[in-house]
Amino acid sequence: MSTPAARAAEERAPTAGRLHLTLFINGASPASARSMQRLRDLCDRHCPSAYELEIVDIYQQPELVVSRGVLAVPTLIKELPLPVQVLIGDFTDEQRVLATLGLPAAETTEV
Amino acid sequence: MGRVLTKTHVKSPDEAPRVQLAKTATGIHGFDEITDGGLPTARPSLVCGPPGTGKSIFAMQFLVNGATRFAEPGVFLTFEESADELVANVRSLGFDIDGLTRDGRLLVDALPLEPQSVQTGEFNLEALIVRLAWAVEQIGAKRVAIDNVEALFIAFDRPALVRSELRRLFRWLKDHDLTTVITAERGEDMLTRHGMEEYLSDCVVLLDHRVVHDVATRRMRVLKYRGSTHGRNEYPFLIGADGFEVLPITSIGLKQPVSSERVSTGVAGLDEMLGGEGVFRGSGVMISGTSGTGKTTIASCFADAACRRGESVLYFSFEESQAEIERNMASVGLDLAQWVEQGLLHFHCERPTTRGLEDHLALMQKLTQEFAPTLVVIDPVSSLARGATPFDVSSMLLRQIYYLKSTGITALMTVLNEEGGLEQPIQSISSLVDTWLHVITMETFEERNRALYVRKARGMAHSNQIREFLLSDDGVSLVPVFVGAKGVLTGSARLAAESAERATSLELTEESEELARALERRRDTVESHVAEIRTDFAAEESLTQRLIETSQLRQEAVRLDRLEQARRRTAIPAEDEK
Repeated sequence: MSTPAARAAEERAPTAGRLHLTLFINGASPASARSMQRLRDLCDRHCPSAYELEIVDIYQQPELVVSRGVLAVPTLIKELPLPVQVLIGDFTDEQRVLATLGLPAAETTEV
Repeated sequence: MGRVLTKTHVKSPDEAPRVQLAKTATGIHGFDEITDGGLPTARPSLVCGPPGTGKSIFAMQFLVNGATRFAEPGVFLTFEESADELVANVRSLGFDIDGLTRDGRLLVDALPLEPQSVQTGEFNLEALIVRLAWAVEQIGAKRVAIDNVEALFIAFDRPALVRSELRRLFRWLKDHDLTTVITAERGEDMLTRHGMEEYLSDCVVLLDHRVVHDVATRRMRVLKYRGSTHGRNEYPFLIGADGFEVLPITSIGLKQPVSSERVSTGVAGLDEMLGGEGVFRGSGVMISGTSGTGKTTIASCFADAACRRGESVLYFSFEESQAEIERNMASVGLDLAQWVEQGLLHFHCERPTTRGLEDHLALMQKLTQEFAPTLVVIDPVSSLARGATPFDVSSMLLRQIYYLKSTGITALMTVLNEEGGLEQPIQSISSLVDTWLHVITMETFEERNRALYVRKARGMAHSNQIREFLLSDDGVSLVPVFVGAKGVLTGSARLAAESAERATSLELTEESEELARALERRRDTVESHVAEIRTDFAAEESLTQRLIETSQLRQEAVRLDRLEQARRRTAIPAEDEK
């Protein structure tokens, strides 16, 4: 599942080392919804190009939970660019999120 | 079925029936006996211990047995090893993980926890239940194993959070009637490193692994079992051919069938000492003695005799190689090689130090099952004891002997004991063996000679004699020792004494013959005297008789004369009288 913004970005820069993320959350939990929003905001503010974010509800797709070895909620997997990185937590530590995802600390202005 | 109810032990009719606690059999040999049925059904049980004590194997075996023997599918959730490694590790124990997985009777969820995951804020472990629920649903699991929760603490480094999430998990497991084994590391001063025992108090099993003099012994203890009786002792266990096996010495039943059939020992004189028929089939026989007393030779005789009857023999040698034994026995006329060729005799020779005690015994059981012998020789059993504590050895051996006895296999053990008495472990085995032969050396007149006696022979008349045990080119034989005025004699002293005795008896014979002859002569003399006297007497008698007759005749004559004279004197008067 891609966000409209990601899809737009894909159209603009199809060959770039684009950021591809998978987020595992509990779709029914307000805390999970908040952390998802926090991540989106963060990426929108710091991602220079475009990014792709796939959301997995652990209760809807438990087989993905099993196959991806997920335990914590929320878990974010940075699929691309390599290396694959796993982040757990609700993204309140922004600096850590940015560093792990390889995003610039400075906010990028909307194009 | 796997779910069993504990028996209610009603002591008196007045006593209220006890609440029955549902139990789930683990199928682990010995464990179900100790716990009187297995683990509590639909509850999580804690299995804790230091690394390498067999927690994972216990957990896996609980599931495999459930799937194969009790029709209860199981989910194995592991944080420790990858699925491939785990399958490989337990495959060596004969668990067919792949097959069970294909059949949908087992689901292994291997979740390698990556400590390099970055924490960016608050989180929970909801997905743990999600994945477990998914797996349980996939195969309709009744059993679950989680191995090992310690990994969660390490991976997330948030003890309070992990603890509360685990409590949630345990509650979920209970709510879903899943009988669960949770494994955890042993803590320093606590039972588990993170106090898991607080939440898993229904049943706590402690595993331990001690290495004494390079020999490893595993032990198990049921620390706690809420609402149930259980064996409280520390039980040795082994991880052998059949996996986890607890050896509940004290709960060994004495119900094995017994045979009254007797089998020859292969040593003629020995059979004679044992009531003329040898030992009971399926009994335990121990041959003890100091070094070089011929224990192996006697053991080989037993083996040879069994092979002669067409029976198979498994020979464990811990000090000599097969070639050495064959050569040495050939020197006393025992051709063991022929039995090996015929496939009746199977040797397993190994240095006792190549593996731990429990592994040795596990291997012995494995080979015993493979080879299905009627006689198992362990030569010498005492070398296994090297380095182990007496209790370990005796308890392991008790189990081994019991195992052999219960399968009707005659067990023959040789025991090397040092000069001056038996060592402790051997002493305790001796109570379990049925026949105990003791070989001694007797030192007399600059000679060492072997002698053997029956120290114990249950259920049979047996000799109380010490017999000399001879090894020669023609084989092994027992001869009665010489018991004379100077005590028990063996060897050349016996021969000398015997010949001396023969000489003495010869002399005595001659003497008595001489006396007899003398007596005979005397008798002749006396009798001839008697005859003479008798003749004299006869002569005298006849003479006297004649004299008597003569005398009587003369008397008569005198009387007649008198009458004549009187008549003549009175002739005239006589006329007057007319």
